Amino acid sequence: MGASLALDCDAQLMLRVKDGDGASFALLLDKYRVSVTHFLYRMVQDQPVAEELAQEVFLRVYKSRETYEPTAKFTTWLYRIATHLALNWLRDGKNERGQERLDEAADEGPVRELPDRAPSVEQRMVQRVKVDEVRRAVAALPAKQRAAVLMHKYEEMEYSQIAKILNCSESAVKSLLFRAYETLRVRLAHMA
Amino acid sequence: MDCPIKTQENREWLLDYSAGRLDRQHAVMIEQHMETCPDCARFVRDQRVVWEALGQWEPQEISADFNRRLYQKVGQAKPASWLQLLWRPLVPVVAACLLIVASVALHTPTATPPVESVEPEQVERTLDDLQMLRELALTPPQEAKTPQPM
Repeated sequence: MGASLALDCDAQLMLRVKDGDGASFALLLDKYRVSVTHFLYRMVQDQPVAEELAQEVFLRVYKSRETYEPTAKFTTWLYRIATHLALNWLRDGKNERGQERLDEAADEGPVRELPDRAPSVEQRMVQRVKVDEVRRAVAALPAKQRAAVLMHKYEEMEYSQIAKILNCSESAVKSLLFRAYETLRVRLAHMA
Repeated sequence: MDCPIKTQENREWLLDYSAGRLDRQHAVMIEQHMETCPDCARFVRDQRVVWEALGQWEPQEISADFNRRLYQKVGQAKPASWLQLLWRPLVPVVAACLLIVASVALHTPTATPPVESVEPEQVERTLDDLQMLRELALTPPQEAKTPQPM
């Protein structure tokens, strides 16, 4: 583990932040701002909340600089903070407003479009309905399963890293993912 | 290879294969297995539908003033004062002292005298003594029992 940590340039940047180098913090922020905010958005499905939580993540990173020790990959630490905040937010029932937003969010957010041809209005509407179904299916997953799927699918993390972030065994992560994908396969089967 | 679904072993290979993340060697094994296993073939087909559906979900743009708001909060976050830095390592020591004081206070004998333990033999002896006293009280004076001269 020591060897891999030695190569973790993010951890080295964080150690420079610890030494008072603000520019290194800016580099880490630029590198992970988008991915962390997107992860949180998919977790809580509310953009303003996701941004607030993402700010809290980076604020905690900054505040923890003096006590930071590179005992794990930097991204493991970063996503552990993000996941912790998101799970707490979901657990505390602060997502009621988010669910209302989800209900009325069918016309929100960009939809991935094929670049080689402009879709018609009808195609765009169909696409938005599909995306909304995906969001609902993900929102219906238990919070920990949701976090595991998002880290696996969008952050392309290894099972071992997801396990460290969720503080469980690798086999538990695989079980979480299998149950989650099983649910999604049933809910999204008609999208074939 | 054994069926990952039936044996529950290496099930993640099916997920990784569906996501296009499985190395070539294992991917070939899965492909050969799927030729004779409709369950695994169906799993991969359905999982790819999920994978593509999830891929269509693009998050929203992040606010342009994200960094400005964050640095504002960073600026408001005051660095720990020397008193806080000094206090932090002392917290466990103080907590331990408080625990010791609390446990001592709980175990200090109060004005109420402690109940002595009573052994079973002691109870038996007392009962015997009581019985003997009762018998003595019932027994007539010794002179009455003196046999009459013949």
